[in-house]
Amino acid sequence: MTQTLDVDGRLSQLDSSQAMGVPTSATRTRTFAFTFGIAFTLLYTVYERLNWPLFTYQPAVGRLYFWLHRPLSGEGPPMYWYGWIVLAAAIALMVAWIATMISGQWLRRATVFCCILAALWPASLAALRIFITDWATFDADFLNSVWVAAIPAWVGAAAITYYIPSRLAERVWTSWLLIVPIGGLVVLGYSLLQYFVR
Amino acid sequence: MDIIFSVIREDTFWKILLFFHFLMAVSLLAAVTLQAAAVLTSTRQAVGNFIDRFSPVPAASYAAVIVLLYVPQALLGSWMYLKYRLYVRIPMEELRHWWTLGAFEFKEHIIAMGIGLLPAYWYLWRQPLSAEDVGLRRWLTVFLAVTVWYAFGAGHVANDFRGIGS
Repeated sequence: MTQTLDVDGRLSQLDSSQAMGVPTSATRTRTFAFTFGIAFTLLYTVYERLNWPLFTYQPAVGRLYFWLHRPLSGEGPPMYWYGWIVLAAAIALMVAWIATMISGQWLRRATVFCCILAALWPASLAALRIFITDWATFDADFLNSVWVAAIPAWVGAAAITYYIPSRLAERVWTSWLLIVPIGGLVVLGYSLLQYFVR
Repeated sequence: MDIIFSVIREDTFWKILLFFHFLMAVSLLAAVTLQAAAVLTSTRQAVGNFIDRFSPVPAASYAAVIVLLYVPQALLGSWMYLKYRLYVRIPMEELRHWWTLGAFEFKEHIIAMGIGLLPAYWYLWRQPLSAEDVGLRRWLTVFLAVTVWYAFGAGHVANDFRGIGS
């Protein structure tokens, strides 16, 4: 009974503070933790796919290099995993910190935009590559670029974000916490298919 | 490290660490499995500690244990990953154990995802439990349990290739 009253008290406190637009420390913690989870899992997938580690470790010689380092002869195999994790964690911490300072509506829209962009960018690059090899009747090699693929991806993500109703963006916001890591694992798992079909 | 290696052999040291990694994995596996079973079997979830009295396992009490085991376990695994890269993965490639290699690569990714979700998981299990996040709490707990189960399985297979008792 006491606990029920406590919870009611907490909820009504939350309601009144949210109604006034003042984020409480509880809502800030929630925003920080959820945004970190979404941003980290999304960024980890992107950095792994693009191979953007913050640093490269060469365990055989015990050397650490900033960013991506291709091993020199005699240096042994490189390790990028630590670099992807640290970079994803650092950027996700920044994103989560910024998220606590902006309005909830902006945060939800930004989350939708980033998640859709992360899906559309590689999809448009793949579509461009199919177009170049199967459809183009001219020398379309200049289209085979991540920056060219970025244009339809950004336009598409902006359009979808604009047309998604605010209530839907708000309702699905916490669902990104499951959609992004599962989607990321599907992408990363697919990239490992080479090991399973040899 | 030189002081340790003057007392015990280097390979013995890494085998002891691998054994600790295994022990922590079993503890973590037990905790996540019990918590996942509790959230999946409970017919209804109420706010606060109320559910704990009716649940077969007090699900919320496992959250802190899971976080406290998951983080050092991931750190220990990351440390031993250095030796895996040099002394396990290279022979794995030479002997063309592609399935084992691919499964272990996926383990790296699934654990990274698990680490990223830990702050949200910790928040969702804070007392008093929020009623609005029941579904998210349930499926995030199940997701973490899957990461631990997968990591345990893939790690076990890699150990069978080159580890304790192999």
